[in-house]
Amino acid sequence: MATLRLNALRKTYPNGVTALHGADLEIADGELIVVVGPSGCGKSTLLRMLAGLESISDGELAIDGRRVNDLEPAERDIAMVFQNYALYPHMSVADNMGYALKNRGVPKAERRRRVEETARLIGLEDLLDRRPKQLSGGQRQRVAMGRAIVREPRVFLFDEPLSNLDAKLRVQMRLEIRRLQKRLGVTAVYVTHDQVEAMTLADRLVVMNGGRIEQVGTPMHLYARPASRFVAGFIGSPAMNFLNARLDARLGGDILTLPCGTRLASPIPASGEAKTVCLGIRPEHLAVVPEGDVIDGDLSVRVELVEPLGADTLVHARLDGQDDLVVARIDGIRAVAEGDSLTLRPDPGRLHLFDPETGQRLAPMEPECQHSTCPA
Amino acid sequence: MATFQRHRVTPWLLLTPQIAVVAIFFFWPAAQAMLQAFYVEDPFGLGRTFVAFENFARVLASAEYYRALGITVTFSAGVALGAMALALLLAVLADRVIKGAGAYKALLIWPYAVAPAVAGVLWGFMLDPELGLISAGLGALGIDWNHQLNGGQAMALVVMASIWKQMSYNFVFFLAGLQAIPRSLLEAAAIDGAGPWRRFWTITFPLLSPTSFFLLVMNSVYAFFETFGTIDATTAGGPGGATRTLVYKVFEDGFIGYDLGSSAAQSVLLMGLVGLLTLLQFRYLERRVQY
Repeated sequence: MATLRLNALRKTYPNGVTALHGADLEIADGELIVVVGPSGCGKSTLLRMLAGLESISDGELAIDGRRVNDLEPAERDIAMVFQNYALYPHMSVADNMGYALKNRGVPKAERRRRVEETARLIGLEDLLDRRPKQLSGGQRQRVAMGRAIVREPRVFLFDEPLSNLDAKLRVQMRLEIRRLQKRLGVTAVYVTHDQVEAMTLADRLVVMNGGRIEQVGTPMHLYARPASRFVAGFIGSPAMNFLNARLDARLGGDILTLPCGTRLASPIPASGEAKTVCLGIRPEHLAVVPEGDVIDGDLSVRVELVEPLGADTLVHARLDGQDDLVVARIDGIRAVAEGDSLTLRPDPGRLHLFDPETGQRLAPMEPECQHSTCPA
Repeated sequence: MATFQRHRVTPWLLLTPQIAVVAIFFFWPAAQAMLQAFYVEDPFGLGRTFVAFENFARVLASAEYYRALGITVTFSAGVALGAMALALLLAVLADRVIKGAGAYKALLIWPYAVAPAVAGVLWGFMLDPELGLISAGLGALGIDWNHQLNGGQAMALVVMASIWKQMSYNFVFFLAGLQAIPRSLLEAAAIDGAGPWRRFWTITFPLLSPTSFFLLVMNSVYAFFETFGTIDATTAGGPGGATRTLVYKVFEDGFIGYDLGSSAAQSVLLMGLVGLLTLLQFRYLERRVQY
């Protein structure tokens, strides 16, 4: 149980490479923070700095208000679950779980009691005498969790703990981690590159890119109001469509004009001269319009690829004047074939505009996040 | 099936060079030694008499033989444990080196390329009672070093020279073993509150046990057989038999004393002893190194 404060945390390696360009973050007691980003974005470095496995080049890290920059991993009272589980292969499950307690001089009887109690909590009672190599991937994962839990640490750190499991087990363990973390009420930082895992687990999400924090907020806030084109493209699956457009003031309102000639009402006012913008529309916010019902602002596309998922069907279609195919998520019942012409209608309330140069969000900006640390 | 038939000869052809080497340089001499152990032969090889187990009986009844056995045990234990402990220490240190790691490793592996006799001469020279630099230094400290007179010092000298020679071999294996331990295990242990010392003894050392076991077998065999050159070049079994190990005694009795029958019987016994030792190590130690 603890709060964490990261103040301009920075990591520069001796060879001059900067892995983290000053991270600021406040983590509340009992909160589950998920750090998500592509490979090499610095998320693992950040986690390892919290653990004390990497030194902090600059900035301050505080646990419960106390600066811990220079403390050894052992002195920070944190527990970590590694991607490869890092179970001690020469020890039984019980010894693996009890190792940290033993290092702290907890008496044998007390150690045994706590290991057994934790084993019951996560369903490992029957495996306590086994060696790690006698366990399945899912069971090893559980032991790694148990080893973290039994210590009753102030903070849990998870480094992509589910990435070595098969898809079905991953979904199951994801729910279990969430359930356990809430039940134990321990502050947790969870690193993953899987945005579905990130969305479903997080109290708050931290999206990282190129060693910088792009945005912090609740999963739904990031989904609804991505602060940058990067976040917009990273959160949500399939990824948001980005279209080239021009924004200018016309008689009767501000208008977005697509290269194909389609005009849409702009969600933000145009300022001054006409300018190029990047229009973001999520696949689920494009609806198929029945023939004869077409109005101004609808997009007529030609279907190039159809991916039926069962409940939904993903349609990849060509829109004149755009480099990439437009993806739409439509009802699975509708019969669509490759080569069909289709009319799609964007949901006018869910358009996102980004600056094509900086990638920053242009509109609309109203904040709806309750956390004080969320950027507006 | 036809293809399989056609290739019946090829594997044997491919194996022939290896088999020939083993047959000519191991099986044949070993068979000769075994045969010879049952005969008494005159020094010039002109005639021999079958004596059944008399050679063995004589060897096993001689106090000299048991003395050599005791010396061998002391010597082998000293060499095997010393060479392994020092190699492990060096490997742990070399594993932490980042800059110039290649150069360090090359330098540490170097002694392995030195012939045993050369290693012996080298150490004998450094510790020579009259000329040696180290013995002069020891003299300044009040230690009167003379391995030509002092049996204990002679033993120390051959142990040191043999350790120095074998350490490189052990170093290579320990270093490889250390590098095969996943970093995350040691990181997990650090987070679990184990300091460097504790991490080494509770994680690194147990995880090295397959390597250590393998090296224990190899070092025992080395100490039993391959140190002949080192001993011959430094102390020649002396003074007064203080460094006469079993393998040295085989040589002395056979090629200096020309008692070929006894020498052959001793070498058969030595072979059996090392075989037994290896078997015991595999049976009792290997079980404990599995994880």
